[in-house]
Amino acid sequence: MESATRPTTGADGPYWQAMAAGRLELPRCEDCGRWHWPAVFRCGSCGSWSQAWHSLAMQGQVFSYARSWHPFAGAEGIAVPYVSLVVELPQAGGRRVLGLLRGDERDLAIGAEVKGIAASTLVGETPIPAMHWFLNNAERGA
Amino acid sequence: MIGTFSGSTAVAGIGLRQYKRGKAPMPERGVLIRAIVDACEDAGLDPADVDGFVSYGDDRNNEPVRLMSDLGTKELCWSSMIWGGGGGGIAAAFGSAAAAIATGQARAVIIFRTLVQGDSGRLSGAVMAHHMNDHLLAAGIVSPAQPCALRAQRMFEHHHVPLSVAEELVRASYYHGARNPNAVSYGKELDLGAYRSARWITEPFRLFDCSRENDGAGALLMVSSEMAKDLKNKPVYLLGVTQGAGRGWGDLLENDDHYASAGFESVARRLWQQSGLQPNDIDVAQLYENFSAQGVASLIDHGFCTYENVAEFVRFENLIAPGGKLPVNTSGGNLAEGFIHGIGMAIEAVRQLRGESSNPVPNAKTCLLAGGPGAPTVSSAIFGTERP
Repeated sequence: MESATRPTTGADGPYWQAMAAGRLELPRCEDCGRWHWPAVFRCGSCGSWSQAWHSLAMQGQVFSYARSWHPFAGAEGIAVPYVSLVVELPQAGGRRVLGLLRGDERDLAIGAEVKGIAASTLVGETPIPAMHWFLNNAERGA
Repeated sequence: MIGTFSGSTAVAGIGLRQYKRGKAPMPERGVLIRAIVDACEDAGLDPADVDGFVSYGDDRNNEPVRLMSDLGTKELCWSSMIWGGGGGGIAAAFGSAAAAIATGQARAVIIFRTLVQGDSGRLSGAVMAHHMNDHLLAAGIVSPAQPCALRAQRMFEHHHVPLSVAEELVRASYYHGARNPNAVSYGKELDLGAYRSARWITEPFRLFDCSRENDGAGALLMVSSEMAKDLKNKPVYLLGVTQGAGRGWGDLLENDDHYASAGFESVARRLWQQSGLQPNDIDVAQLYENFSAQGVASLIDHGFCTYENVAEFVRFENLIAPGGKLPVNTSGGNLAEGFIHGIGMAIEAVRQLRGESSNPVPNAKTCLLAGGPGAPTVSSAIFGTERP
């Protein structure tokens, strides 16, 4: 089933379209060069309305992580335990994106290098586009 | 500089009805009406004379106009809700009520929060629904425990805060709860072995690191300090209150600048400025702890301690009444007294300053209330026994 890109009231529509097409894109202010995430319509730093989306390499460092064991309502599509990640992207001014960790978890730590893929996470009955991450050197078994 | 605002309003009455989840004797609005009437009777004010209402945390079933028939409200002059789905608005609610009173827009304002889960659903679900978006869902983040766990992990691992401080705070909460007849944990000491081996919710939180939800309602009546003099109970003055978020904090998809903090840095700075007080002027604190680590982060944000000395400060002996350096959550707090979205903590602040707490802090003159650590919008208030 194809991943669904769902309506948003924010400025992040292009993120979802890119993710559904297999790319990680984040916006950068065309005037002052500041990376924005969450996406903005207007740069609060310089006042510019020109925000351009840039395709990024899917790699970064673990900024933080949390392994969930409780079967929370709303996450039934993900087998517990699972690890949610905040990943810092040096190639995007240190902005952070979210995702799920897959594969070997042995070297999980803040600062660990990860590589990502554009995948999807099942939310209810709907697969939505999502970054899934693997620790470098981890076997992509899961 | 202290403005004329400090001490110009006071809490004159309190009401709290708390039940085990699923055990409320009436639907949600009935429980709320009961608590509001309790607060009015406590103050000696006719409920019909209440002319304003403030709530927080999406208490959306109980719009003030729906309360008027039961209370006999003569005229509704003020109704407001603090933005945000979590408990971050709890202290800000007093700021809204005080603003209404100080500007003459209302005379007698009830601050309330209600939660009867058969009617409004699980609180954790409601809080998360407020902040939910596909970015969080895609990462399996569906409960407040998870963003709080992500921040706690950063605090423990990156900022080298020892895990033991969370346990010290939980122990203090349960110590107080065990001695509070109104607490869900009354008479039950925390078994440290059980705490340490309890099931994981989201690492680094085990079961007893998490607040547990109750049914009930809490209400506090606020009036001008002048009017409070003529009411039945001893006034508890609002000495300072601030809310909001600094730049680089908010609903930012986990991009907050000081990620491991509880979000109070700007709010605390303004609180100390506004009130003319400092951390060592605070005698007792009610720290909203949705999760143990966030309670600790609140103390750091407010300047009671730092990442470097947190383990010296956040020790069980320091945190308990009567003799601790800074007794916290003297009713048991959200962890051990009960959790009606934190309203019980505001009520305990008043009880403590009236000398009515089950765990009294002798001669306590000031009490900090810090709301909703880790939430996009947070707020803090200082209550006191004397006007400045």
